[in-house]
Amino acid sequence: MTSFAKTFRATYLPAEAEAFRAEIKEFLKEWTAKRPPHRRARSWQGFDREFSLALGAKGWLGLTIPKQYGGGDRSFFHRFVLVEELLAAGAPVAAHWIADRQSAPLLLHYGTQEQREKLIPAICRGEAFYCIGMSEPNSGSDLASVRSRAVPDGDGPDGGGWVLNGQKIWTTYAHESDYMIALVRTSGEPDDRQKGLSQILIDLKAPGVTVRPIEDLTGEAHFNEVFFEDVRLPADALIGQEGNGWAQVNAELAFERSGPERIYSSIVLLDIWADFLARRAGANPAAEVALGRLLARMAALREMSVAITGRLVEGESPVLEAALIKELGTTMEQDTPVEIARLIGDDPDEVVDPELLRTLAYVMQVSPAYSLRGGTREILRGMIARGLGLR
Amino acid sequence: MIELDDIFLDSFTGLLDTVSDHGAIRAVEAGGSTAAIWEAVQESGFVDALLPEDDGGAGFDTATVVPLVNAAGERLLPVAFAQTMVARMLAARAGAELGVDGAVTLWPLSEEGTLRSQVAPAAWEAGHALVQQGHQFTVRPLVVGKQRDGFGYIPAELDMGAEPLASFTLDGVDLLDWASAITALLIAGACNKVLAMTIDYLNERKQFGRALSKFQAIQHNCAVMAEHAVIAATAARIGFTADDGNLSTLRVAMARSVTFDAAAQISALAHAGFAAIGITEEYDLQLYVRALKRWQISFGSDSFWARKLGQARIAGTYDTSADFIRDRLAPEPVA
Repeated sequence: MTSFAKTFRATYLPAEAEAFRAEIKEFLKEWTAKRPPHRRARSWQGFDREFSLALGAKGWLGLTIPKQYGGGDRSFFHRFVLVEELLAAGAPVAAHWIADRQSAPLLLHYGTQEQREKLIPAICRGEAFYCIGMSEPNSGSDLASVRSRAVPDGDGPDGGGWVLNGQKIWTTYAHESDYMIALVRTSGEPDDRQKGLSQILIDLKAPGVTVRPIEDLTGEAHFNEVFFEDVRLPADALIGQEGNGWAQVNAELAFERSGPERIYSSIVLLDIWADFLARRAGANPAAEVALGRLLARMAALREMSVAITGRLVEGESPVLEAALIKELGTTMEQDTPVEIARLIGDDPDEVVDPELLRTLAYVMQVSPAYSLRGGTREILRGMIARGLGLR
Repeated sequence: MIELDDIFLDSFTGLLDTVSDHGAIRAVEAGGSTAAIWEAVQESGFVDALLPEDDGGAGFDTATVVPLVNAAGERLLPVAFAQTMVARMLAARAGAELGVDGAVTLWPLSEEGTLRSQVAPAAWEAGHALVQQGHQFTVRPLVVGKQRDGFGYIPAELDMGAEPLASFTLDGVDLLDWASAITALLIAGACNKVLAMTIDYLNERKQFGRALSKFQAIQHNCAVMAEHAVIAATAARIGFTADDGNLSTLRVAMARSVTFDAAAQISALAHAGFAAIGITEEYDLQLYVRALKRWQISFGSDSFWARKLGQARIAGTYDTSADFIRDRLAPEPVA
């Protein structure tokens, strides 16, 4: 626990990162004005190519990536401020989300010089969108059991290359993305578990790739099935070391689990509800208490997220602490629609703003996914327990 | 901000381990004296940590002493260590003397003159109280209550007949905030300790031929305890950050709301882990869970504090709750 206290010690966003905030707010004004709250409540599931291009034009994609690859060369603190503002406003960030958060840093860290120069600048311009191929029909949380396989292709045009066969599922926005970075088997057998897995880059327009959207319970389609049938990939499709995919995937997780996206998924709903309460201030003490309770948790979690950002800046990779934040954060995000639903119906005779109801309905339905994406609650609790010395 | 050197912290926790072990706490609860414990704490010099250097103190800011107050909570230190630190600091700020060398606890009064807490401070934690009513502060002797409270603690009562030992005025200071912020830090410390005790027990205790810690349901309970311990520590730390020497009521509110939940969850899950033995008087877990539950309703409970946050949010003209949090709850960097 002492180590937790050190990880979560007081950490402040530096003034130059804070100074960045006003510029972002100004930029976001016109984009949010165009979108009603129930659309903005899509949070990081809201897809808008045009918006991502505009962010790229501002130089705000790949914010922490070095300038030589088209990035912003700024700190993780700057990125925290940017992401916080984007999510709080309910900006449609889904198009570039994965490429910006995970793919570009991954390529920077594990890619060859050639891969970096070829792939990262397009991400930073908002012209190349990525998805992540992890789950398979029989590999959900048990990721090490993936069966999709890329085998060396002796007949490849460059003398190397791979032939990929298999299937991915629950791949968010595969149907709108240009590339997938997938975890597949490149050597060994399924019994070898983590050994022999690699990360490979797949051009989703390549022959043999079929993407089929899966409709979700709200009638929208965010995730997909993706089929690979004798897909020929060039030698440089391999990212990092052959067989090292598991370690590479895990290194991404501290980034994926600790950011503001684990705190603000329900914030658009919370804020439109706060506006509703403000028009009736004092009329519903129970609602004011519930709002305060959610804000208290949100504030403490934000402080923890800033602290983790500080540790990332210092070059640490606090994977366990990131799991703690994600579990606490998604629980708070999921409690938000529950509390609002509990209180909004306290007077059946009261007319409630239809936009608030529509936003509530959306978040009530999709919020179970908050603790599935990026590692389920149950998997994270297992990780935390192991970190505590149980098991 | 000055970060407390590990050597200082270790010497303080080492001292507490000696004077405030489970045996000592039980002796105090049975009616024994805290004089020796107070003497040891007083001699350590840490009680003057918040006092300006010119007044013979260490001149630390509140953020620096957070680990010390956490440590007091972790060991259920039965004397008003943090409260005395604050009382001495406030008196010095008013250019006054407390007039007592012993422990002084904090006693915020309502306009009607009643203690602003459903639970009175324990009689054993201090012989005197710094009493606030409006901007008027007095130091008054405490007397021992006649009847134990529902948690088994002997409550203190203000000796209203006695002349105050000191009297001064201060504006812009709310003793309820200070007493509450300390309560949050004590809760966070005790939560940490209960988590550690539970993990130790689960790794040792065997059922069905294996350690309880091997069972997934038990592991998940522990993970949830750890989450609450961590968020409680963070919230309580923020609650005790003072800009310009004063606490922020809203940050204290945040700390109290989060630590209320943590105390409830951690107590419940610890009991689940220890099972029947944890319910017994003989087993030391009860010392902690009784303290945690009592702190939950000391100086206002969750709903009192949370409502302040909710009201402030809807009274403000914030576009988003993120703006509200940044503006009203996030601590400022301390130089």
